[in-house]
Amino acid sequence: MIRIVPRTQFGFWATAFPLLLAFSITVVVGFLVMVAMSEQPLSDTWTLLTFPWQARTASVQWGFVLQKSSYLAIMAVGLSIGFRANVWNIGAEGQFAFGSIAAFAAYLLFGMPDTTWFLPVMLLFGILGGIAWALIPAALRVWANTNELLTSLMLVYVAANVLNYVTTGPWKGDPKAGQAESDPIHESLRIASIIERTDFHWGVIISAGAILVLAFVVLFTTFGYSLRVAQNTPRAQKFAGFSPQMTVWMSFALSGATAGLAGAIFLSAETGKLIQSENYLNGLGFTAIVIAFLGRLHPIGIVAAALLISYVNVGATYVQSASQVDDAVADLVQVTALFAVLGTAFLSQYRIVFGKADLSTEGAV
Amino acid sequence: MTSLLSLERITKAYPGVLANDAVDFAVERGEIHALLGENGAGKSTLMKVLSGLTKPDSGQIVWKGDETTISSPQGSKALGIGMVHQHFALFDGMSVGENIALGLGGQLDDTRRTRIIEMSEKYGLPLDPDALVFTLSAGEKQRIEIVRALLGEPELLILDEPTSVLTPQEADALFATLRLLRDEGRGLVFISHKLNEVRALCERATILRGGKVVATCVPAEKSAEEIAEMMIGTRPVPTAKGQQNLGDVALEVKDLRTKDVRVPALAVRRGEIMGVAGVAGNGQEALYAYLSGEDLAPQANAIWLNGVEAGRSGPSQRRALGGAFVPEERLGHAAVPDFSLIDNTLLSNLGTDGFQRRGLINWTLTREHATEICDGYDVRHAGVTGRAASLSGGNLQKFIVGRELIKQPEVLVVNQPTWGVDMGSATNIRDQLKALAESGSALLVISQDLDELFDLADRLCVLNHGHLSEAKPTHEWTAETLGVAMTGDVQEQAA
Repeated sequence: MIRIVPRTQFGFWATAFPLLLAFSITVVVGFLVMVAMSEQPLSDTWTLLTFPWQARTASVQWGFVLQKSSYLAIMAVGLSIGFRANVWNIGAEGQFAFGSIAAFAAYLLFGMPDTTWFLPVMLLFGILGGIAWALIPAALRVWANTNELLTSLMLVYVAANVLNYVTTGPWKGDPKAGQAESDPIHESLRIASIIERTDFHWGVIISAGAILVLAFVVLFTTFGYSLRVAQNTPRAQKFAGFSPQMTVWMSFALSGATAGLAGAIFLSAETGKLIQSENYLNGLGFTAIVIAFLGRLHPIGIVAAALLISYVNVGATYVQSASQVDDAVADLVQVTALFAVLGTAFLSQYRIVFGKADLSTEGAV
Repeated sequence: MTSLLSLERITKAYPGVLANDAVDFAVERGEIHALLGENGAGKSTLMKVLSGLTKPDSGQIVWKGDETTISSPQGSKALGIGMVHQHFALFDGMSVGENIALGLGGQLDDTRRTRIIEMSEKYGLPLDPDALVFTLSAGEKQRIEIVRALLGEPELLILDEPTSVLTPQEADALFATLRLLRDEGRGLVFISHKLNEVRALCERATILRGGKVVATCVPAEKSAEEIAEMMIGTRPVPTAKGQQNLGDVALEVKDLRTKDVRVPALAVRRGEIMGVAGVAGNGQEALYAYLSGEDLAPQANAIWLNGVEAGRSGPSQRRALGGAFVPEERLGHAAVPDFSLIDNTLLSNLGTDGFQRRGLINWTLTREHATEICDGYDVRHAGVTGRAASLSGGNLQKFIVGRELIKQPEVLVVNQPTWGVDMGSATNIRDQLKALAESGSALLVISQDLDELFDLADRLCVLNHGHLSEAKPTHEWTAETLGVAMTGDVQEQAA
């Protein structure tokens, strides 16, 4: 007989076992997907998994991995703070867009300064833009008791349309470009690569720094403490004298700030200009939600998950062009990993016992 | 004639407590039988046995003359026992009919719909099968539960404190329905604390105290006072405490009126322990919430701490005024289960000097403080970095109370100081509370345990239906007067 029993002891194994199991499930399912999609599944899987090591331009590939994961990690860490306190901001994509728009607005507002010293101001405006956009669903939740899942998601599409408006309207740049886009910002305001000809740029370092700041906030400040208390124990939160509404405001503000920062970095490091939403927003804000849960809402887990998923994505992109395997395989792997991690999470609270019930050790259920 | 149901010498022990001790209980056809008793008297355990949620250690269940066992809620239902619980098990977003169908298993079809309407008309339980549950009043929700139980054609229907959520008019309508069911020859068990209702409605009453049956009587032939005394028992009447040096008033409530509680006046002096007695669910939670600042009073001048208006101040501000608070629920309210003892130490100390500066937490000091609490108040633990949930109830309670006592607060409000705590820890906690009062603090203790209140309190007041009575010295109360104050009609008292 198989029974499920609550764990009474929480050792290393309680955390490691579910993750190992999830990893194994992902590998098996991922391989089955490759069998279905590819003519030489073994060699393609091998290529997918080892590509960044083997490619002639390894540093370029690793640059991709770091660049992509830095956006995902910074946004996911911001989101996880709210998720832990049951505040569901799923509109990071929109806050990302507004971060970019606000950074560009600052550039225009201050008369298009041509100096690298202005870059911090742009990043700051990006943060403020993200916060401002995130505070709309926060206000609706606090004042009108609106479900923030809906409002934050809907505001993504509003933000995308604002981006379309500014790139086709007031800030419209070169009309001969194949897409609606603004004029580029000065070259001095573009975030530079750390290693030549790779995407490993200073934005990655800025994101890493921001994650450290957030980790410090959560662990060493009363505000971070209040968010940890808020997680699943709203009554303890009242007992301590924290306001539940402040938790909503601050969770949205923090996740908006990280998404806005990511948006500003993206504008400066990747495109150098605003582009119509279809060609500018590529779902990083949504993937970040997945990453937050893959990392079990823990900063270290999130960074690991972001690196892992970015790594697989880079490999999948190559396999797509080399062997005509659809790069949806990367999405499938990502989704499998998410389901596996969520599905096995309960094993950290419960254990499966084989054999007859031993009533003496368990309460009546 | 054999009884419809007869329980013979039912015994059920839980660790540390004998919940049912050789209980005999019989219900006849065509009878409304009251089951009375204080909290913890063993009523719930007995009902759990009947609904198949728990198995008695010994004793027999005889159903219509045949000995039987009830091993599951389904088995109980199949036998012909219906239950209407005090807390509704309904899905708010679904319709009345869907909720009923769900309870019976299966879909809401036309025959079911007709049955629901028939049933509700027959028994005077007006219900619209298509209404959504969240739009309904408590009384209407209860009707759903009753109709759902009746559709199972039970011969025995058990109602657990059915009137606690009803208005007097709704309660009268419910009684008419119950009499109708009785006249059809069904047996009914009516669990209640309200003695006047029991006297008006029930043919017989069985009274439990401390897990034992103390009496079976015809309630209409007894006065409410007599029944109350049987429930509470004759206790050693507390003697007048020695002359105390009481200081000025440190905690004062003046005309606090909210939808949950009404406190005309309450004043606790330094050096005094004020006890608040009452049956569970009569506003204890709300009173605690208003005193601690977790809920704000309508006016600032309704609550005074150390001579300062505090009705509109939150918990942190009240702590700054010298208040300290211990809520009833240990895990999830007084402590975060997954937090270490260090993390939990901070929970009520955010405003205490030195624990934080400009938003930064001083973890070194917090850790030292956690150790001090554990050492000073005999908290047995496996290390202060261990989770709060890993402590036993008694040790966690000593930690939570100790966390406040170590501050030597001028005013301490405690809700259920020793609920579910082992004897040793309970004695320890009570001694600590007395010592705090002797050192000149004002204490308010809300408790359902009358022995505890008689032991601790200098003065006692009673919370009934959210109404807090006037306080009298503990030795002036008798089991009778206390019983009536706890269970009687509030309106009568007010008049």
